[in-house]
Amino acid sequence: MGLLSIIRKIKRKEKEMRILMVGLDNSGKTTIVLKINGEDTSVISPTLGFNIKTINYQKYTLNIWDVGGQKTIRSYWRNYFEQTDGLVWVVDSSDLRRLDDCKMELDNLLKEERLSGASLLILANKQDIKGALTPEEIARVLNLENMDKTRHWKIVGCSAYTGSGLLEGFDWLVQDIASRIYVLD
Amino acid sequence: MEEELQSKATTMEATLRKKQQAMLDRLANRHQNRPKSTITDDSTSSSTAFSSKFSDSKRSVESQLAELPTLSDSCHLKSRLAEISSEISSLEQLVAESSYFLPSYDLRAALKSISDLKQSLEKLISELLPKKKFSFKNKSASKNVHTEPRETAKAEKSNPIITIPESPGFRNKQNEVLTKNFRGSEIGEFTISDLDSCEVRLIGSVRAAFINRLRNCKVYGGPVTGSILMEDVENCVFVLASHQIRIHCAKRCDFYVRVRSRPIIEDCGGLRFAPYCLKYDGIGDDLKEAGLDEESGNWSNVDDFKWLRAAQSPNWSVLDEGERVGSIQIEVLDNGNGKG
Repeated sequence: MGLLSIIRKIKRKEKEMRILMVGLDNSGKTTIVLKINGEDTSVISPTLGFNIKTINYQKYTLNIWDVGGQKTIRSYWRNYFEQTDGLVWVVDSSDLRRLDDCKMELDNLLKEERLSGASLLILANKQDIKGALTPEEIARVLNLENMDKTRHWKIVGCSAYTGSGLLEGFDWLVQDIASRIYVLD
Repeated sequence: MEEELQSKATTMEATLRKKQQAMLDRLANRHQNRPKSTITDDSTSSSTAFSSKFSDSKRSVESQLAELPTLSDSCHLKSRLAEISSEISSLEQLVAESSYFLPSYDLRAALKSISDLKQSLEKLISELLPKKKFSFKNKSASKNVHTEPRETAKAEKSNPIITIPESPGFRNKQNEVLTKNFRGSEIGEFTISDLDSCEVRLIGSVRAAFINRLRNCKVYGGPVTGSILMEDVENCVFVLASHQIRIHCAKRCDFYVRVRSRPIIEDCGGLRFAPYCLKYDGIGDDLKEAGLDEESGNWSNVDDFKWLRAAQSPNWSVLDEGERVGSIQIEVLDNGNGKG
């Protein structure tokens, strides 16, 4: 308990949050991060490895780890689990064929003990594309209702293309983490 | 924008450097504040100290082993065996801890004598202790194994199965020419899957394209303003323009592509790349609207996830100019959904 209180104190001082962005390839993780940071999103190459972005968000500093989603590098996700405060799972809502893959990878991720305390934001991305599943449908496919009761989670429909829904999702995530880690002030 | 980025980068670098310096300072402090006693400890851990310690405990183990056969009480024997084996393992630990300063010969010799001790111990065990008969045991744990799967099966049943609507696309066709005009349509994503020996012509632009399980096909497409995701294609020719292209499990295919970002391949082989070369009435406007009117040159900047080295990947190459098709001309049909 002593260590935990020290960590809390340090975190409160720095007001830093570590956020891990994962999801299948082509789900739009990098685009989301750049969009939130107000950067140009017109030329983004598939992520070969990972990107780290430090973003000032409200009164907090978010360290966002955007890790590539290609099959080859999914096994390296585990290297980024340590001390994760918030987990963002990004779904390509228009990729109907790989929803099973998506569910499987998410289930595996949530079994991970090092992520057990992290707040989970699920972004049902690409809502701007006609034919995309709604957040409610994605929630049903991913069977979110049956998730471990101790997990704090929320699903939000968004479009990294237009930017809609992104702030709603991140507001929730940051508030949820803040209420867990910091004493509300 | 660029300047802003640059200044951001430099401030980030500065904070990084500061952090690193702070870490180093902390490390130096820790080093200085270390109690002096550890230094004297270090001096004792020389190789001579090790060898005397090692040979002492080795001798004690050997003598214990020698007197084992004289013991008659089997209970007593067992406890003695356990003691000896724990002594051997502590000997092993001693060697492991000292391994970093031992000369390699001493290390080898020590390891050898440990394995000798182990062997003689095992030999004695097999001689002195009668073997137990092998039998199956009825463990209560097996009950749990039976009930668990049933529970998970139930959980899966309660999971509501939702029927996923099929997206627009071409599926399960052979030896056909398939044409689609996206102009004026509201199609967002388009799927091309399970085709054999077909020619696909797509006119106008679409947000996203999914291409799966094609054999011996030709796919000619107007601009995709989002991304193309492709998996499991063989012996095909693709002429495509897109903001992003991801190619998985493709074998022996030619790609004539224009991409705003770097195309990526994963689990592929025998791929050849060349610049985009599609022509149809009004393609210039379509490309311009999609932000793909300029050749970025990225068609040859392919990233291979299975080849993360500086040297050229063996899985793809640039298609020789002499072998390229020149340009592909396709007709625009008015009704859009016609079959050629």
